[in-house]
Amino acid sequence: MKLKSACSAAIIALAGPAIADFPEKPVTLIAPFNAGGGTDLLLRGFQEPFAEALGGNAVVQNMAGGSGTVAASHLAGLDPDGYTLGYLSITVSTIQPQIKDVPYDRESWTPICSVAASPTMFFVNSDSEYNSLADVKADIEANPNALIFGSSGPGAITHLTMVAAMNGMGVMDQVKHLPHQGSGPAMQSMASGVIQFFGDTEVMMSRYDLKPLAVFADERIASLPDVPTATEAGIPAPLNELYLWGGLFAPAGLDPEVAETLAAACEVAVQSDAFQEFADNTGTVINYRGPSEFDAFFRQQWDANSTLIEASGL
Amino acid sequence: MLDALPAALGLLLTFQGMTVLVIGTALGIILGAMPGIGSTVAVALVLPFTLSMEQAPAILLLLAVYAGSVYGGSISAILINTPGTPAGAATVLDGTPMAQAGKAGQALGWATIASVAGGLFSAVLLLFAAPQLAAFALRFGPVETFALICLGMTCIVTVSKGSVPKGLVAGALGIFLSTVGGDPITGEVRFTFGHYQLIAGFNLLAVVIGVFAFSEILIRISDGASDGGTNVKFDGIVLPRLRQWKGRIKGLIKSIAIGSGVGVLPGTGSATAAFISYAEAKRSSPNSNNFGKGEPDGIIAAESANNAVTGGALVPTMALGIPGDVITAVMLATFTLHGITPGVRLMEDNPVLMSAIFLGFFIINILLLPLGLALSKVAAPILRIREPLLLSAIGVLCVLGVYYVRGNPFDLLIMFGAGVAGLFLRRAGYPMAPLIIGMVLGPAFELSLRQGLIITDGSFLAFFDGHPIAAVLLAVTAVGLLWPLVNTILTWKKDNART
Repeated sequence: MKLKSACSAAIIALAGPAIADFPEKPVTLIAPFNAGGGTDLLLRGFQEPFAEALGGNAVVQNMAGGSGTVAASHLAGLDPDGYTLGYLSITVSTIQPQIKDVPYDRESWTPICSVAASPTMFFVNSDSEYNSLADVKADIEANPNALIFGSSGPGAITHLTMVAAMNGMGVMDQVKHLPHQGSGPAMQSMASGVIQFFGDTEVMMSRYDLKPLAVFADERIASLPDVPTATEAGIPAPLNELYLWGGLFAPAGLDPEVAETLAAACEVAVQSDAFQEFADNTGTVINYRGPSEFDAFFRQQWDANSTLIEASGL
Repeated sequence: MLDALPAALGLLLTFQGMTVLVIGTALGIILGAMPGIGSTVAVALVLPFTLSMEQAPAILLLLAVYAGSVYGGSISAILINTPGTPAGAATVLDGTPMAQAGKAGQALGWATIASVAGGLFSAVLLLFAAPQLAAFALRFGPVETFALICLGMTCIVTVSKGSVPKGLVAGALGIFLSTVGGDPITGEVRFTFGHYQLIAGFNLLAVVIGVFAFSEILIRISDGASDGGTNVKFDGIVLPRLRQWKGRIKGLIKSIAIGSGVGVLPGTGSATAAFISYAEAKRSSPNSNNFGKGEPDGIIAAESANNAVTGGALVPTMALGIPGDVITAVMLATFTLHGITPGVRLMEDNPVLMSAIFLGFFIINILLLPLGLALSKVAAPILRIREPLLLSAIGVLCVLGVYYVRGNPFDLLIMFGAGVAGLFLRRAGYPMAPLIIGMVLGPAFELSLRQGLIITDGSFLAFFDGHPIAAVLLAVTAVGLLWPLVNTILTWKKDNART
């Protein structure tokens, strides 16, 4: 599979852009993380219905490293012919380029379609005495610099969720931040009491003993009707909404017709039974947006997140 | 857990269940035995096949390939001096000299029995004590991890064959290489000189395969490759006789304990276990002076520990949902694809499936013995093919293996670079194992130290206060480092008194 995609990439490079009867060759979907990771599995669930809807072939290629930035940097430097797309998340596309020196930025992309968007939540241990963000705020103010929030890494969505919450409560300078390498190790720190607070998506609740205190969405979520939104818990805009989203991106300058063709196939794929079942199994919240809508959303997110990054001190 | 065993056996003792175990283990051994192809690549290669399988066979296939490839790695490490994983670098220390002394069959015999013993014991632990061990693992915070890594770092001295100063230089180089890329606490990018490919840092596997396998090819070419086979004579595994085990059992048990223990702790891994175990064996073995020259105790220490890690690493993975490395992370992801939620309730919610997996893991480790014996017979003729052909084949496998791990062409440049650097460093007498220890432990050392300092508000003293496990580990580290010095002074005084 790897070799095939490498070969097709080479052929594409030689053949140059072809628009008339798109697609004339297999479309490569780059997963910027390791085989077997969450993004990789999502793309493998997406690949078949997408290829079918496109009337062509699609292959998944993994290119891991640097929290996804290596693959994104590689993708940004390719010809915008529509034959190589990447699945980039909020972190890879809007946060990492603002905190790291990478060869891509806001203008490097033709956003094709968004695929998933799950609101993040504020978690404490399930046996913790905190029952609301007000409890958390009171305890932090009573014990400045004693409590710790964790994250899966600097600049990760888990980090920004906590930055939004702590800033929204006005206690950012009275808590400490302990970065980990991934959500798994952070959950170990949570279970052993090293950290008290963590922000991630709903799927973590099914895996670990966590209690949600707020959800960073515009309304309460159906599966957890008792959990207040961040707004209700007193977090002011623009810190009150945060979604872990991801979608397909092509390098900037892709022909709009090709982008529309790809997006149409993308929409059929995300609605397909196969992908819906995958989403159910993995707790992925499906969220489709077409090219122009996704482009506006991406730009709005870039600006919103630069405020958060500034607040986080990264 | 135990109540579910009968139902679990029913799940395992089917045609499909047993076929998956046998084929998976054999495939694991074969892939692991190929130079340049390690466990990560082996597991990634079979992953697509598991997608269309039932829950139990899918997980068992991954487990079988994982355990098989860890054992298989010892074959290429011993026979052609080309380990495919960082852990294999510890097996090379005594395995290769023994093979070159004409005892390749015996060396593999020791490795086989040690692997099976290590794997079986860790399987028993997993079956009976996973929840308790997981609770213990939770007590290992950043400060404790830091202390364990310090202890691991002392292995650099032990494995510095020939020259300790050169070993320290190689170790420091390894630690330096591991600092390239993203800062784990601030996210800033270090030492990339504007090359985005370096944001991800130097890939460990690319460096391991470069300095061991690829530089081995270069060294043999520069020595003038022979037209016949390699100088290693091998006609199949020769299992050690019972009486040869005299005086070695204690070391075996200790190594298994070290391997299982380190495996249980998230964030360490098989290379750490193999090297700590090797260092401890070298310190306490009656055959200490023979280490590095083909001593069976060295092979036993490395192989039993790194196979014991496989079961140990499954403890936090299965009981807490916390994967210890890339491979266990892939297993957790496979669970979700099959509609099973990994995490703290995994064993509670799926007792039959989990019992079947743990039992299957036990069977896999038994299978290593007959399959290892049979497959090594097949491997024997390969050593007799003309050396240029063999070296070219190894070169191709190295390229495939390195590229497959991350799909990043830049990793190939790293491998070639490491190969050439390895050629010159090895020629100049620098041992390569310390470099790998530095690269493996460097990131964990930095992360746990800086995490610990965040927790203690920057106080080193607080590392000892309220962290008894860490205090003990740091004390052992200090004694281990100072003992040779004290010992030298004592002997010197004694000699002076006599004259």
